[in-house]
Order: sequence, then structure tokens, then C-alpha cells
Amino acid sequence: MVAATALATIAVHRGEPISATWFVLAAACSYLVAYRLYSAFISAKLLALDNTRATPAERRDDGRDFVPTNKWVLFGHHFAAIAGPGPLVGPTLAAQFGYLPGTIWLIAGAAFAGCVQDFVILFCSIRRDGKTLGEMAREEVSKRGGVIAQLAVLAIMIILLGVVALVIVNALKSSPWATFTLACTIPIALLLGVYLRFVRPGRVLEASLMGVALVVFAVVAGQWVANSATWSRAFTLSGIALTFAIIAYGFAASALPVWLLLAPRDYLSAFIKAGAIFTLAAGILLVRPHVLMPPLTRFVDGNGPVFAGKIFPFCFITIACGAISGFHSLISSGTTPKMIQRESHARFIGYGAMLLESFVGVMAMVAACAMTPGVYFAINSPAQIVGGIPEVAAKTISSWGYPVSASMMAGLAHSVGEQTLWNRAGGAPSLAVGMAQIFSTTIGGERLLSIWYHFAIMFEALFILTVLDAGTRVGRFMVQELCGRFWKPIGRLNWYPAILLSSAMIVGAWGYFLYQGVVDPLGGINSLWPLFGIANQLLAAVALVVATTILLKMGRMRWIWVTLVPMAWLVVITMTASYEKIFSANPRIGFLSFANVLAAQIGTGTIPAAKILETRRIIFNQRLDAVVTAVLAAMILVLLLEAIAQWHAILSRGKKPVLHESPYVATQWAEGD
Amino acid sequence: MQFVWWKMRLGFASAWQGLREWCGDAAYERYRECAKRAGQRRVLSAQEFYVEQLNKKYSRPNRCC
Repeated sequence: MVAATALATIAVHRGEPISATWFVLAAACSYLVAYRLYSAFISAKLLALDNTRATPAERRDDGRDFVPTNKWVLFGHHFAAIAGPGPLVGPTLAAQFGYLPGTIWLIAGAAFAGCVQDFVILFCSIRRDGKTLGEMAREEVSKRGGVIAQLAVLAIMIILLGVVALVIVNALKSSPWATFTLACTIPIALLLGVYLRFVRPGRVLEASLMGVALVVFAVVAGQWVANSATWSRAFTLSGIALTFAIIAYGFAASALPVWLLLAPRDYLSAFIKAGAIFTLAAGILLVRPHVLMPPLTRFVDGNGPVFAGKIFPFCFITIACGAISGFHSLISSGTTPKMIQRESHARFIGYGAMLLESFVGVMAMVAACAMTPGVYFAINSPAQIVGGIPEVAAKTISSWGYPVSASMMAGLAHSVGEQTLWNRAGGAPSLAVGMAQIFSTTIGGERLLSIWYHFAIMFEALFILTVLDAGTRVGRFMVQELCGRFWKPIGRLNWYPAILLSSAMIVGAWGYFLYQGVVDPLGGINSLWPLFGIANQLLAAVALVVATTILLKMGRMRWIWVTLVPMAWLVVITMTASYEKIFSANPRIGFLSFANVLAAQIGTGTIPAAKILETRRIIFNQRLDAVVTAVLAAMILVLLLEAIAQWHAILSRGKKPVLHESPYVATQWAEGD
Repeated sequence: MQFVWWKMRLGFASAWQGLREWCGDAAYERYRECAKRAGQRRVLSAQEFYVEQLNKKYSRPNRCC
């Protein structure tokens, strides 16, 4: 009743600002209903979870890979692994449509698609001794399906890393305070790495607490750097300079021993992530800010300044993590299935952790929508759309019906300790402003606004760098495995030239996307975030195709719609978005039409001679993006056709379904263990 | 009163243990117990175990977007 009332309130409310309490109530109560009813139904009817069956963690307990783990601890592990920057950045960008489409997609998408995917893939992996999504696709769908899943993972990894790096660049550009703080996390991580390796091996808790204290000090010290003329100049970097710094960092993190830089940064990030998310939730509950963004903005027509495209399909690919994310299927078929104690825990961990991630997405939506809409558009709109001069940009945004002035933005930038907040597309700065306003209302008031802002930027950037360095390393392993099939030496994991070469290949791949985003005249996010969304949803579709095939083989025809409907939805949105991104006649949406517009401008002599080379590069990038999108779409179509052939054979009884489950072994544990 | 105190201590102890397990502090103790139970001759040192775990953890997707 409460969920329905709150949902109805946020859906029909018009005119006056609405309290964030309604969002919290709508989300929390909907999640409770979904967990209590829908996940119970899936557990009992679709999956028939069996607690008498020993899990891989019980059968193969070795204290290393297979470790039976308390369900609350494993929930924490799983949540820390699936919660990245996606549920924070995606909803912030999608707020340009208004709060309503994104909020409904976050809640409904999580309950009926995202949680289902995580839960079912976790179950399938438990029943197969913790096999990965690629292995399950190869065994249960086809060999080609396995190859497609592997390629999809590599593709999404490259695009993802390029996009998240672009978010960092846009957050740190011309911000000496934020750049200094983030730079400090590198020596702090190195220090922790040495401590954990040689001084107190494996004492993660004490080392992380020391690290967190040092990072907080770095946030405060950043203010002194920003106020010093010399130091401020040293840490004020352009987008291009930051691009090369991040590429160099990614290469170092991939090539250096894992204990030195990557792992200690991950520990720092995990603690700060948990703390910041908890503080944001507590802040929203305490402050109960008013959501100033209207439920629907004029940009539902597809001409939004943050990114172009209508609600369908672009809202559904912009918010991937938080509603459904294919990347989660890699975690659900990674470490978690090897640590689960009982099959019934899969419901709490698989379905429950995704609900919590969706809640993080709703909070990010609230934080973004709680700021004045004019300010939101001023921060997130690229200069090419609204104009590079503050007065002109303010006039453009105000003419859309979202009043903002140059002096208002200058005052806001001053109070958060930044030189400017105009044209900071990417979601991170606007989310940081929203978070800082909520935090400072709880503790410190205006006086601490700048500290809170930079704490939020540091939290987001640290979060993203963790994804970047861990992803680069995993990508390096994938490249070594792939290239090792053609040239054996490069596949050797302990041969340093191979490590350096494969690291350079993976860093070069995502670094190229990052560079093209930084030099993109439309701000980069407009082109790259949809590409990332398409890749991520493609992987989710792959996961749901595998899940549906396995369930059909298990004879669960009656309830197959549970995975089939979200799979069909994902295929439709991925295909529609891919088609529009390639062929749309609107140059802000279609890669090819934008390339054609630029080519025509060169032809008519509109582009100055000095800019022709740069424009040709942008044309090439747009065409490359079109090809990448087409390849991604083709991969899901091939996999789908393979799966449909399998389903037809099973349903027409032309082929006896072969299920590759591990044999049943009864548990040795008592019920209460 | 003593019962409440005892319950609180029990709660704190299990929360502390949960935190240690979540962040990985307790991993080596677990491994040693497991190795002892299995009668393994060669048991890794704390350093070796730490590095081995990290190499395994960061060779597959373990952080989502």
C-alpha cells in the first residue's frame, strides 16, 4: 500500500517541488514487495532451490577458492563487487529527462530484470561448480555462443574503461584541488601495498583505516594547494594532459605487481565507497531535500543537451547499472558462487544485493534532481550546445525554462572551491554538487560545502580508478589469452615482455576511446555513454539468453517468461539504440550523419584550414563508433539465433536436452549450520 | 543485566568477525585451518597466501561498472 501510494505520488505530482521522502518510500517499499513475493516465487517455482544439495563451497572447501562464507559477509562481498560508479553516473545523466522515467526504470528494471539476471546466473553457476558466464554459454548454448560471450566481455571492458576514464577527466579538468587529492591516493596506495606485503601481511582492516585517514587529510590539504598560486598551477591540468596521465596510470597498474598499487587502492575504495553510500543515504533521510527537477522535462523529445535521444530507448541504456547490468553476470559467475554456503542464500545475495544497488541509483537520482534544474543543465551541458561564454550559456539554458545566471554559477563554483562549474559533462561534478549540498545541510553548513564537494569528487574518482585499474588488468589477461592462441609466448603470464605488450594493447584500446571522447566537439559523453550502455545491455542479453536456455533444458517451460521477457526487452532496446546511433539522421544521435555533416563542412570550406586535420580525425572516430556499435549488435543477433535453434530443437523434442550440471551430492551440514 | 551484557558482547564479537571476514583479514586463518584439516604438508606463509590470493582475485572480473 505504501509502495503504491508513494509511486502514485511521484508519478502524478506536478507543479510544486516534491519531497525526497516519497522516492525513498517508493523505492524501499517496492523492493520489499519484490523481494518478499517475486524472488520467493523465483526461488520456489523457477529455480526450485534445494538446501539438501551441497554447494561447491561445501564440496570443494579448500580455504583458497572455495570457501563457505556467512551469507551476510558474502552479501557484503557481492555488493562491494557489483556496486561501481554506474549507478551513480547513469541516473545523474538520465535526470535530463526529469526524475520520473529514470526512477521508474530503476525500480521496475531492478525488480523484474536486473535482480532476476543476477539471481538466476548465480544459481546456474552454483550448480556448475562456479563456472563463468563464457564457460556456461559454451557448454549450454554453443561453442560459438561461448566465443561471443568472451568477445562481448572484452568489448564491454574496453568501452567501459574509456567511458569511466572520461568521467574522471571531466571531473578533474581545471580543478587543482581534486587533481591533487586524487594524485595523493597513488603514494598512499603504494605505502599501504608495502605495509600489507612486508610489514603486516594481509592485515587489510588496519591498513585501510590508516589509508582512509591519509586520504581524508589529502582532501583537506587539497584546499591549501588550490589556494597556493604555484601549486595550483602545477595541478591545473587540461583534458589532454589528464588523458595521458590516466593512460600512464592504467598501464602502471596493469604491469606492476598487483599487491603494490592495484589491491591497496581497491581496499581504500571499498571502505570509502561503503562510508560514502551510507552517508548519502543517511543524509537524504535526515535532510529530506526537495526534488526541484520536474517529473518530465522538455528534453523527452530527444534534443537533450547532456546526450541526444528520446526516452525510448536512451533512458534504458543510459541507466544500466542500477536497473540491469550485464557486467553483474560476471560477478555472479565469478567468486560468489564458490563461496555460497547454501543454495537458498542465492536469493538474498543475488536478488537482494542488486536491489540495494538499485537503491543507490535512486539516491543518485535524488541528489541530481535536488539541485536547481538550471544549475544541473549548466554543469552537464557541453559548451558546443549552450555556448562557451557564461552569460551566453546562462541565457540559452534560461530560454529552455530552467533559469540560471552567470553570477549564480560563479557563486556556486566559489563556494565549492572550483574555478568554474560550467560545461563539466560526465555526471560526476553535478552529483558531487548534489551530494555536497545534502552533506553540508547535515554537517558543517556552507562552511564545509567545498570540503564535502571535494570529498564527493574524490570518492567518485577513487571508485572509478579502481574499476579502471582492475579492469585494465583483467583486460590484459584476456588479451594474453586471446593472442596466446596465435602466438604462444604472449600468453605466458610470467614473461615480462608479454605483460608489457598486452598491457600496452589494452591500455591503447581504451585510451583511444578516452582520447576521442576528450577531443569530441559534443563533449564525448554524448557519443560514448550510449555506446557503453549498449555494450553493457548486450552482455545482460547474453546472460539472459544463457539463463533461458538452461531453464528450458531443466524443463521449466511454464515459468520461462521470468527470464524471456527481460531478455526480449533488452534485445529490443539494444537493437533500437544501435540502429539509432548508427543511422539516425539527427547528427547529435547518429554517428554516420554527424560524420557526413562534418565531411560536408570540409567540402564547402566552412571548416578553417587549421582545423581540417582534427575534423578528419573526428569523422574517422564517428565512423569507428558506428562500426563498433554494428559489431556489438551483430554479436547479440548471432547468439540469439544460436539459442533459438537450441530452443526449437528442445521444444520440438528433436534433441534430448543435455544439462551440464554437477551431480547431486547431499549436504553434510545440519540445517542450522 | 548480565544477560544483556553477554548478548551485547556476543553481538559485537560476531560483527567484528564479520567485518574481518568481509575485508579479508580472516582469510589466512581460514586457510590454515582448512589446510590443517586436510592434512596438507606444505602450508603457505601469510605473505605467500596474501600474494597468491591477490593474483587470483585480480585476474578475473571482480569490480563492476
